[in-house]
Order: sequence, then C-alpha cells, then structure tokens
Amino acid sequence: MKPMHPLLTVAAAGLAALLLADSATSQRPRRRPDGAPPGAPTPEAPPPAEAKPEPKVESWTAIQGGDVYLGDGTILRRATVLIGDDKIRGVGHDLQIPEGAHIVDATGKVVSPGFCIVHASGFGAPRSGNDVRDGLNPFDPQIKMGLAAGITSFLWTSSGGSDKPGGKSCVVKLAFGDLEGMVGPEDTVVSMRVPLNVQQMRAFRELVRQAREHQQKLRELEGKEGTKPPKAPNGTEELLAIMDGRKTLWISGQPSFGGRFGGGGGPSEGFGVDQIRQAMEIAELVGQGVVLDVPVAAWVIPDEIAATGSMVIDDPRSRTEPIPGREATTGSNIAQAAILAEVGVPVAVTTGGGGFGGPSIGTGGILGQDLNTPTVDACYAVRGGLPNRRAIRTLALDAARIMGAEARIGSLQEGRDADVLILDGDPLHYKTFVEIAFVNGKLVYEKDREPFYRHVQR
Amino acid sequence: MNRTSERLALRTSLLGAVLLLATPAAQAQDAPLALVNARILTMVPEQGAIERGTIVVRDGRIEALGADVRVPPGAEVVDVAGGTVMPGLVHVWSKAGTQVEQSGPELPADLPERFRRRFGGGGGGGGARPVAQAAKQIAPSIYARQDVFRDLLAKGVTTLIVRPDAPGFPGLAARLDPGATTDAGLTLDAEAYVVVQPDTNTAVGKVLKENFEKAQKVVAERKAPPPAEPKPEEKPAEPKEGGEQPKPPAEGEQPKETPKEGEQQPEPPKPAEARQQPAPKKDPNVEVLADLLEGKRRAFVELSSGTDLLHYRYALKDLKDLSFPMTVIADAADPSSGRLDEIADQLRALNAIVLLEPSLQTVPFTQTLVNVPQRLHAAGLEIGFVLDDSPRQLGDLWFELMELVRCGLPADVALAACTRVPAKAAGLDAEVGTLATGKRADLLVFSGDPLDPTSRLVTVYCAGRAVPKDTTR
Repeated sequence: MKPMHPLLTVAAAGLAALLLADSATSQRPRRRPDGAPPGAPTPEAPPPAEAKPEPKVESWTAIQGGDVYLGDGTILRRATVLIGDDKIRGVGHDLQIPEGAHIVDATGKVVSPGFCIVHASGFGAPRSGNDVRDGLNPFDPQIKMGLAAGITSFLWTSSGGSDKPGGKSCVVKLAFGDLEGMVGPEDTVVSMRVPLNVQQMRAFRELVRQAREHQQKLRELEGKEGTKPPKAPNGTEELLAIMDGRKTLWISGQPSFGGRFGGGGGPSEGFGVDQIRQAMEIAELVGQGVVLDVPVAAWVIPDEIAATGSMVIDDPRSRTEPIPGREATTGSNIAQAAILAEVGVPVAVTTGGGGFGGPSIGTGGILGQDLNTPTVDACYAVRGGLPNRRAIRTLALDAARIMGAEARIGSLQEGRDADVLILDGDPLHYKTFVEIAFVNGKLVYEKDREPFYRHVQR
Repeated sequence: MNRTSERLALRTSLLGAVLLLATPAAQAQDAPLALVNARILTMVPEQGAIERGTIVVRDGRIEALGADVRVPPGAEVVDVAGGTVMPGLVHVWSKAGTQVEQSGPELPADLPERFRRRFGGGGGGGGARPVAQAAKQIAPSIYARQDVFRDLLAKGVTTLIVRPDAPGFPGLAARLDPGATTDAGLTLDAEAYVVVQPDTNTAVGKVLKENFEKAQKVVAERKAPPPAEPKPEEKPAEPKEGGEQPKPPAEGEQPKETPKEGEQQPEPPKPAEARQQPAPKKDPNVEVLADLLEGKRRAFVELSSGTDLLHYRYALKDLKDLSFPMTVIADAADPSSGRLDEIADQLRALNAIVLLEPSLQTVPFTQTLVNVPQRLHAAGLEIGFVLDDSPRQLGDLWFELMELVRCGLPADVALAACTRVPAKAAGLDAEVGTLATGKRADLLVFSGDPLDPTSRLVTVYCAGRAVPKDTTR
C-alpha cells in the first residue's frame, strides 16, 4: 500500500537548460548565415566540468571512441559523448569522465543524434485530437521500429490552419516506456496555406496590423507598474506567437488538381513560384522566417527564400512535371535541397504525401526493410548534389529547427536531450544499422535484443 | 487400465449421489456429507495434497478434513475413488448477468422494470464518457433466474462477483450466490469492492484525479472533525450514505455469507434512497472513495497494460500519499501496449494482487510466446486469474492452465490463481478459496488431477450442496 511513485521530476532541470539554450539559439537572424564550415569543431566542445556548478546527475554514460556526427555537418573522429541523466553533458576529445560512469565502447562505430522527422504519424501517438497524451502508447512496438530506423523524435500534428495560422502540434519523442518522456515541446509549430485570395490576404494584413498595434501597446506599458496588459485582439494569438518567435509558421501550398482530373485550368504548377512568393510575403509581414512545407519549385528562387530567413521541407523523391514551355521555372528538381543548402536555407527531408496534419513517414510497411526510411530520403537529396556531410542536417539540426525544437533535439551538444544513436556505419548509407539508441538518456533500443534485425549477422 | 474402470465406477456412484442430493436439497443440509478416498488439494500455501483423505461437510461448511478424519454417524458418504477435490473457482471480475437486454428473448415476462435497464454508463469501451459514481451498486439491477449463473456454477464457479463497467468510477461490484433461485437471495454483498477503470485518455484521468482529491479532503476532515456546529446535521445523514453500514467484509474479512435471505432484503432500495435525498454537501460517491482511502474498502483497478499503468500514474501523479487496498485487473491484455511483465517493478510498487488472463502472449512481429503469469510470479507478484464469463469458454480454463504450467508456471500457483488468490483479492479468503475447517464447502471433484487432460469435473458442491449436472457440455 505504498503511495504512487512520484513521476520523474527532471522537468525542472530540463526546462532551465531549455530556457538557457533557447535564448541562445532560437533568435533566428533574418538573413540566416550558412551553417558552420565543414570540419570546424563546435564552440561547445570544451568539457563542462569546471565551467559552472555541476548539475546533480544520478547516472552518467560515456560513449567513447566513435566517430561523432554532431548533427550540424561536423564530425569529430574518435570522440566521446557524455550523457548525464537525460541530457548531453559534453562532446569532445578530452572530456573528464565522472567516476562510475557507464562506458559504452563505440570504437569503429558512428555516433549520431537521433533523427528528427518533420512529417510522421503513429509511433504510439494518437492519430488526431487536441492532446497528444490522449491514448499515447509508450509501449507501441512501432516505437521500436522507428528507433530501428534511427528516428528518435517527430512532429505530431493535428489539423492545421487554412487562411490564417492554426493547428496543434507536439514534438513526440520515441521514449519507449516513458509517457512523460514522449511528450516534447508542445505547439512549437502552427500552419497555414497559400495561395490566399485578395480578400484573405487583406484580412491577413489587417490581423498583422492589429498584432503589431498590440505589440506596440505592450511595449509602451513596459516598465509601468500596476497596469494590466491589454488582451490580445481576437484571432491574433497565434500570429503574436509567430512574430515573437515563440512558434514557427509552416506554410503549405494548395495542390491544384486542374488537368489531372480533366477539370480544366491547365497543367498544375502545385506549390510553385507564385505561391512561394506569397509565402515569402507572409514571412516579410510577420517579420520572421517561415517554413515552406514541401514546395515544388523552391529551387527557382533560392535567394528570395534565403533572404527571409525561411526554411524548407523537401521531398527529394517526388517528381512534378514542369509545365511545357516553362521548364526553367516550374516542376520539381532533385537538386532542390542542394541548391537551397548552397545559399544557406535549412532543409529537412520528408517522404511523399506529407504535410502538416497529413503525415507521411509511417510504419505501414516494415520500416527499414522496405526503403521507407528517412535516411533514404536524405540520400535522394545527396543524389541531387547535397554534400554528404550536409545531408545529415536534413534529419538532425535543420529538421529540429523546422520543428521549432532545436534547443532540445537535433544535435549532439551540451545541454541538448540525450537522443543518441550508435550505428555500424555512415548514418546515410543504406547498409547501416542502428545498433543502439538512447532517448532522453535512456537505452531504448538494442539491435541484438529487438526482434526486427537481431537475426541479421555480418 | 484399472483407472478407467475405477473412474467409471466413480462416475456412476457419484451420479447416484448427485441425484440423491440434488432433489431433496433441504434434507441434504441436515445430514452431514462425507467425501472419502479423496486426494485433497487444499490450496493452503505450502500444504501439499492430502492423499486418501476425507472431507466432512455440515451445514454448508467444512467440519473436518484430513487423512485420518472419521466419518460421522449418519453421514451421506460419497466415495471419490481416488479423485481429486479442490476448492470451487472464485470468479471475482465478471459481467455475467449484467447485460440484461443481450439475453432479451429469454427475459421472463414478469421481470420487474428495474432489471430491464442496462446498468451504468454503457460499456467500458474506448470513447465512452467517464463516470464518477463510485457508490452506485450494480446489485439492484441483477436478477436471479438467469441461465448464466446456473451454467457457471456447473462449470465450477462457486463464488461470483459481478461488476459495473464504465470508464472512471462505475460503481460497486456485487457478490452473488450463483445458486440463488430468488432475487432476494442472489446478492450476498452489494458492496464487494469499488471499481476503478482508468483509461489512456486525459478526460478519464481528470475524473480519477478530481474524485480522489475530494476523497482525500474528506479523509482529512474525518480525521480532524470540524467545530461542533455542522456536526448534528451530519450525524443523521451518515447511515443513509450507504457508506458504513453494509460492509462488514472490509472491516475484518469476516465470513459474511450466513445472513442469506434476511439481511439482503433492505439493501436494494438503499442507493435509490441515497440518491433521492443527498445529505448536504456530502457526495456518497466521494464518501465511498474516502472509505477506500481509509482502508475500509478495497478497489479493483483495471490496468491491462503497461500503457494503462503509465497513464494511471500520470493522472494521479500530483496526489500525495494516495494509497488504498488495491487489486490490479488485467483482463484485456494488449501486447502492443506493454505486457505486464515489462512493468513488473512498477506493479510491485503498487503492492497489489494482479489478476490477469490465463494465457500466453505473443510478442508483436514475432512468433515468440511469453508466459506473463509465470514471469510475474517469478518477479514475486501474487497472481490470480480473470475467468471467462461464458460458461462454454470457461470449460477451456483447465486447458489454458495446462498450457501455462507446461510453459513453466508451477501447478499449485496456477490452481491457487483460480481459487485462493482471487478470494484474497476480494477479501473473501477467510471464507472461500481454500479447503480448511470452517470454510464454505465449495468443492470441485475431479476424476483425476485437475491439470490432467483426461480428468473430468465430476461434481460441483456449492456450500455443501451438489450442483445439478452441467448440461452445456
């Protein structure tokens, strides 16, 4: 008749770390500079031990000797990743390993951040609803399948906005057996769609104006004691969150079925240049970069996209035929991810049919045994010219940014969630298996023990 | 070769006995009954089988048992001929007879209206709205003359507790007399235990949390009674709550089967009364939960999977020191939501008996079978089985047990899991579930070992009376 176990209270420490990290990273520059030059070590590399008062850590794990992919394109050869409880406490070559740490030998292996998937469903999360906790199943065998494919988090979405931002989202972590551990940052992303017609665009501008006015009022009140801050004008809540950088706006295009079903209107351009330009206009209005959710022709105007600080979800496997005679400005291009990366636009990859509220990477087939793994999507981007090293970012750092969660996931950096993979080869090689996966610092997958690939010997 | 003829002889002799006993029931009560030449599985922990023993039954109870017990003069003697005698099955998590309209065509014409309504919130399936009616009794909505009770009894279920079914707090389970012929004699205890049915959605979690929170406040108020002012108005309200009066079992595990017809009479109207005139500020549903938190009642909490348990703990994580006498019910195992053996540590921390399905489970995406009962037993948990409500499927119980035993579950644990352990879980262990002097004479007579596929359940004795032969086989 003991009392219920109080559930873990790591949240407080985690939140503190999150806030610290958040202030450092989430202020996106309007013009995003390119990522760190390849090969350059991250500034976070020095050991944390002396820097500040050591957080109270119950258990330490040191993954030693592997080639460490930091998630931003950098690789540290034969380095150590130090995990303390649920966070990464250090990455580098000369880390002090605390006494009693559990040592994992990763010599000859690759250590990488867990993959972050921008469009997905399943993995124990409910299909829809307002609260991801409703029916959340931390023992879903699909979670193990996802881990076998290297996935440690994905963006759960439910419905979405149409002509103004809306929708529910949550970063779900594949923390097998841990209900609260599965629920990551909530409502980091909202969505809307283009094209907006003239009226809708006018209404949107008006909403932005009201939001700006409200911001101005708040600024004027700043420092004045005792005055109650005014309520945000109706319908501007999400907009204010986007303008303040608290939420990331995803914009999807309107697929046009004209032509496909013989319904007139000619061949479809899909999420082409015109729609992308309207999305960029929205980005200018809200003063923040947005996320283009699977544009078709972003490769045509990469500089315009880069100039707004926006990001792109790319589906390198999909093909959209150009409109005859307009081959230079319509249709898809396998080089899209490479072209965008070249000008510094963060890119995440996804598989066909995805979108906010319409997930794609799923577990319908036997994940990994068919080619439905996220790494294969990244490989298509490589085939289109994306540098190999850079490609890891489409599943790690850049994907995490696009999910609005880079302060928690997507890179091996001190203070990030300890979502770490140990692989037996290049993360993007089709022959590579995930051998071990940690989520929130907990060992959640071992190839030799789980049914999917334990029979594979080589 | 000899055994076959022996068994035949046994069968015929028993058939005679059955006929003898079944018809003049009233007389059988008076004359003591002696089962001789029996292999007795008492189910008392660490007590092995008593070979060639005798059981003497008088007035529905075991008067004596052992290898050298003398048959009292004038006793009806039944020669079991080397067959095995064990306690009757204890079925504590049943819905038998509660879904009246499903047996629609068979409803007697003179059935009172209250039995025609379905009880409670209408099924515990996903999406059903959570209820907070912990004090609602299921007993008044059940009527006696249903075939299912007779058929279950014939299959060996001598103790039957039926329960309401809805997410949240659907109400109070009722212990029935499966052999009862009158509605008045059907209910042995209208408040056998409190049913708690958590779910994996936050709406149910909220109901659980809010009501346990209220109950904790009531407990605190009871401990430190408020100033004299409100006392007088509270006092008269107390007995009407249905909170204290009708539950001697919880207090001291006292055998309370004796008050058969007489005492039960006033019980059915009680919840209605309580509902009509609720005492000011006192919610009977919360009072029941407060009793639970004070240890005066017990709860059966339905947690079929690891995910269920995680959600349950998540819902109640902010409630400090929440503890109560608890039995975990896992009657809808889903290997895709976490097997119970994967959360054995957390189950152990609940300090609860676990009642689960007597079956092996398949690891998803594999052919691998897992003996969950065996693993829980090995992990030090006390396990019992949830039995089937369908008399036909209940006949397969013995084969299911054989499979579990073949896959590593000790045989005595398997049999105790259908008798002693569920009896203990329901607080009835002083009365049923084992064979010992003073216990109710609920006996199953098998032609051989119950876990021998060639054995047959020959006779069922319920409170010392032989049950009419099973006709469903």
